[in-house]
Amino acid sequence: MNNKYKILVVEDENNIRNIITALLEANGFQAITAESCAGGILMFNSHRPDLIILDLGLPDSDGIEFIREVRKESSFPIIVLSARSDEKDKVDALELGANDYVTKPFGSAELIARIRSALRNVRRIGNSLNPSEKFVLDRLTIDYDSRRVFLDNSEIKLTQTEYNIVALLSEHCGKVMTYSAIISAIWGYNDYGSKKKLQVNMANIRKKLGATPGNDCYIINELGVGYRMDTA
Amino acid sequence: MLKIIKNTLISLSILAIAFGICLFIQNVFLTETLIPAVFVLAVFLIAFFTEGYIYGIISALFSVLIFNFAFSLPFFKFDFTIPENIISAVIMIIVTIITGALTTQIKRQEAIKAESEKERMRANLLRAVSHDLRTPLTTIYGASSTILDNFDIFSNEQKITLLKGIREDSQWLTRMVENLLSVTKLDGGKVKLLMNSVPLEELIDSVLRKFRKRYPEQEVIIDIPDEFISIPMDALLIEQVLVNILDNAVEHAEGMTELRLRVKVDEKRTTFEISDNGCGIDAERLKTIFTGCGGGTAPTDTKINSGIGLSVCATIIKAHGGEIFAESPKNGGAVFSFSLNNEENCDE
Repeated sequence: MNNKYKILVVEDENNIRNIITALLEANGFQAITAESCAGGILMFNSHRPDLIILDLGLPDSDGIEFIREVRKESSFPIIVLSARSDEKDKVDALELGANDYVTKPFGSAELIARIRSALRNVRRIGNSLNPSEKFVLDRLTIDYDSRRVFLDNSEIKLTQTEYNIVALLSEHCGKVMTYSAIISAIWGYNDYGSKKKLQVNMANIRKKLGATPGNDCYIINELGVGYRMDTA
Repeated sequence: MLKIIKNTLISLSILAIAFGICLFIQNVFLTETLIPAVFVLAVFLIAFFTEGYIYGIISALFSVLIFNFAFSLPFFKFDFTIPENIISAVIMIIVTIITGALTTQIKRQEAIKAESEKERMRANLLRAVSHDLRTPLTTIYGASSTILDNFDIFSNEQKITLLKGIREDSQWLTRMVENLLSVTKLDGGKVKLLMNSVPLEELIDSVLRKFRKRYPEQEVIIDIPDEFISIPMDALLIEQVLVNILDNAVEHAEGMTELRLRVKVDEKRTTFEISDNGCGIDAERLKTIFTGCGGGTAPTDTKINSGIGLSVCATIIKAHGGEIFAESPKNGGAVFSFSLNNEENCDE
């Protein structure tokens, strides 16, 4: 009876690894561990985990290298553990294909929530290969065919650009999208004013979705990094 | 480059003034005996107010030439055969060199003094911090080893109480470390701020989510402008300032029933104001509230560390070129406010 999700934890700190392992097992996941980048890649190749929790500061080489290596051949979700001061590393990791990051020190509830969300969204994206499918997240529905967005069955009027941004975030639901990733996907180029343009559009979208400061509505603002679509 | 211009300007103006005074003396007192004294003074002043020796020496040579040319017989003609001119040139150069050496030494001593003052402050901060760190560490170490040693004896409730203490104190440590990180990052101004244009709404959103995680029960009344505004700042640091001030209100404003965050935007500046209707801050404490030393009256065994949190705020705001204030209005409560410069209109 081994239908548990298999999660690879790549972390060199013994105590932290033990805590994460215990936490995962207590929540019904199967944990496998590695202490180094090289060990992580070995474990990844032999076990094919469903999700990877990766510490960026590894002894043998940077966690960024691990992402680069793993992303060559798979799209399994990667959650990065980072210290607060690695702002740039965070963005680099996300841009290379990490799905989410959790800042150290983290609470157990927070980490489990992020793992569940990442796994859920993989399932969702895996199921929605049919392009006419609707995207549903709680009370939010996106009809990709008619390019319309609904909240509790009442339509939210969005401009073309606003719709494009919402649709993009929904396709990567649960994943933190950096500013520059969104900008190049929406406008195709990235110049000086683009970020401001994105922020203005986002302010309008968030308002239309009913977000007020401190109360997110489906689009979560990751200050200084980007945005993520998820349930709050 | 700017220094060179500044020093040259200083030298030239002092020389010009000296020249004017000499002309005046010559015309009024009809004598040249005072003139060398005036030039010696001028050279002395130049050596004192400029950096290094070079300006003083050039000015000294220049003075000798002026003196030779304008104020000694034959008037308005160079004459290098008079030995007293050469002697006065030598004297002036000696004055310059000695003055230069003395002022350089004085300046160096001042720098050493300022450095040691800074060193002393850093040592004080370190001492305060290590003391503050020891308290939560005692809880964490004590509680965890107590649980491990008496695992079967304790009831679940007892274990939960101890574990909650561990969690609470480690959260406190986290905040402390974040503050220290910011201070060391900004100390000495070596690290540049990561300035980005940040939408006000996103900043406040992020602050509130952080704050709510810590104090889910405490409501914050928000009053921000409706229109889209973005402000250049180091987002993480300003976020920390706001969280620190809000935290401080929850921890110290006893009897508070209302916590308010208001943002006002005018042409040049955006002003953030955090006010509460708690017990207020006494006048003595207000004076030193941002300097970190807390007036020295705080009982040292409690977690009264607002000093560090608020001094971090002051450091961060200062690094942004803004200003921070704390007031305790007569009708009660406390008001913290700081302002940041708006974006200059150069976008797009």
